Amino acid sequence: MSASGERGRRRHRAEAGGGPAGVNGHAVPVPGPGMALWCHGLSFSYEEARAPIPALRDVGFELAAGRSLALLGASGSGKSTLLQVIKGLDAPEAGEVGLDGRAPAAPEYAALQREVGLVFQTPELQLFAASAREDVAFGPRRLGRPETEVQAAVDEAMELVGLPPDVFAGRHPYALSGGEQRRLALAGVLAMRPRLLLLDEPFVSLDPATRRELARILARLRAAGVTLVLATHDVDLAWALCDELLVLDGGRVLASGPWEAGEAGQALLVASRLREPFLVELWRRLGRDPARAPRTAAEAAEALR
Amino acid sequence: MRPAIAQYYPGDSVVHRLDARAKFVAVTALAVALFVRDAFAGLAVFAAAGVVAYALSGVPASWFWRAFRPLLWLIGLTFLTQLLFAPGEPFFSWWIFDFSWEGLQFAAFLSLRLLVLVLIGSVLTLTTAPLALTDGLAWLGRPLRRLRVPTDELALMVTIALRFIPTLLVELDQIMRAQRARGADFGSGGPIRRARALVPVLTPLFVLSFRRADELALAMEARCYRPGIVRTRLHPLRAGVADAVLLAVTAAVIAAGLLV
Repeated sequence: MSASGERGRRRHRAEAGGGPAGVNGHAVPVPGPGMALWCHGLSFSYEEARAPIPALRDVGFELAAGRSLALLGASGSGKSTLLQVIKGLDAPEAGEVGLDGRAPAAPEYAALQREVGLVFQTPELQLFAASAREDVAFGPRRLGRPETEVQAAVDEAMELVGLPPDVFAGRHPYALSGGEQRRLALAGVLAMRPRLLLLDEPFVSLDPATRRELARILARLRAAGVTLVLATHDVDLAWALCDELLVLDGGRVLASGPWEAGEAGQALLVASRLREPFLVELWRRLGRDPARAPRTAAEAAEALR
Repeated sequence: MRPAIAQYYPGDSVVHRLDARAKFVAVTALAVALFVRDAFAGLAVFAAAGVVAYALSGVPASWFWRAFRPLLWLIGLTFLTQLLFAPGEPFFSWWIFDFSWEGLQFAAFLSLRLLVLVLIGSVLTLTTAPLALTDGLAWLGRPLRRLRVPTDELALMVTIALRFIPTLLVELDQIMRAQRARGADFGSGGPIRRARALVPVLTPLFVLSFRRADELALAMEARCYRPGIVRTRLHPLRAGVADAVLLAVTAAVIAAGLLV
């Protein structure tokens, strides 16, 4: 919180560090600690004209606080629905979502639910305010936080996503580039200081530089202890960021648990219209144990040197 | 999410397969006849025709109820005002209101007339795809082109609007969810507060709609769309024997309704 209060004194470090300030190793406070999550027997269907379409069938898994989960599955497998049910936007027909070990019946559940952040697919569509600062402030204001705390949270979140407030706060959201808009929308959720962050396809239609930038932001959140659930088709980024795996297929859980890159894991990913991460495949082709495949290119280079 | 506009019930019944133009002409003629004739007997004939058409269409009764429900208050209001204010010999008086048999009869007649109108009209909208209906209307409006009314362009505008209603509803739902996830509350407070709560929804929706409109215009131009020329169609409207039969039957029903 200390650094974020010094609004106006921070310089834009984009030129110096090869990336915006607050991301390249600069100490920026982040939300935390993480929230534990469990789901038991979740079922949900969408009402249609002729017959309901089931989207989730008996979905169950557990995720310890501070862990990060890759939510994988083909399009239409129920990933987005699961995220929205966890956030409480849709009530499940059966089953329960537990937050921090509390069932929905617990009196503190509503407060816990407010600490769950959900970043929608193409979240830049939700930008509406006349300035970046106002837009990011919307969430924390709606939570009824005092204005000083709101402003601190806005500075903190904008810094964290690499949009330093002294440069970007007054800009109109629609005057930003696509990648900046996506990061601004992420800041709008981070400003609510979520302890569990759900992300729906955050990497879709971003250029490689922005993609890397976003992955770095998520890695920082993870390092700060925020629990992450990352729904994505990008298995390489998921492999770099996540320690657990949940594969959905037609609304059912195909696999869940720690993500280990064994033979079974490969077959599973291929069966789910996915592929195994590039580094895992590389390790396999090199004749090395894929179960010990590195998570990042840097780790791979280190191992191969 | 499937938006609840639910005007068209997809199907393959005799009524569905009729040409949109024939159905439109038949329904319009019946509606006019319905308002010309002011006796219960005529109403019964038109109602019977509507029920037969409904039965032939295979549309579940619940769908008629869906079309009918929004108009319930209008019919109720018609009934009440006629009952209370129609002139006649009162059999019961209370405060400034006089209740008469004539008033009751007239109120019942007007309400039933509205009900039959909805019944007949909903057969058209439930069994005709919106696009077919628009095409049909554009064809029927062709003579207006001589008066420099751009009927085809108007029809295209309606078609595009219809095409994008479901898309925009889905997007509206997504934006509302996203803002709800950020703590927005659309359901509480007075009317002003509720209207203000819609700003975070309507701004993105408008931006998105304009962007979409721009893209669509570009895409249409890229595919050589030009206004002012008569376009050919992939599925040209085709009237057949069944449509001639429909018009003949309609004429017979109208004659019966006016004469009984």
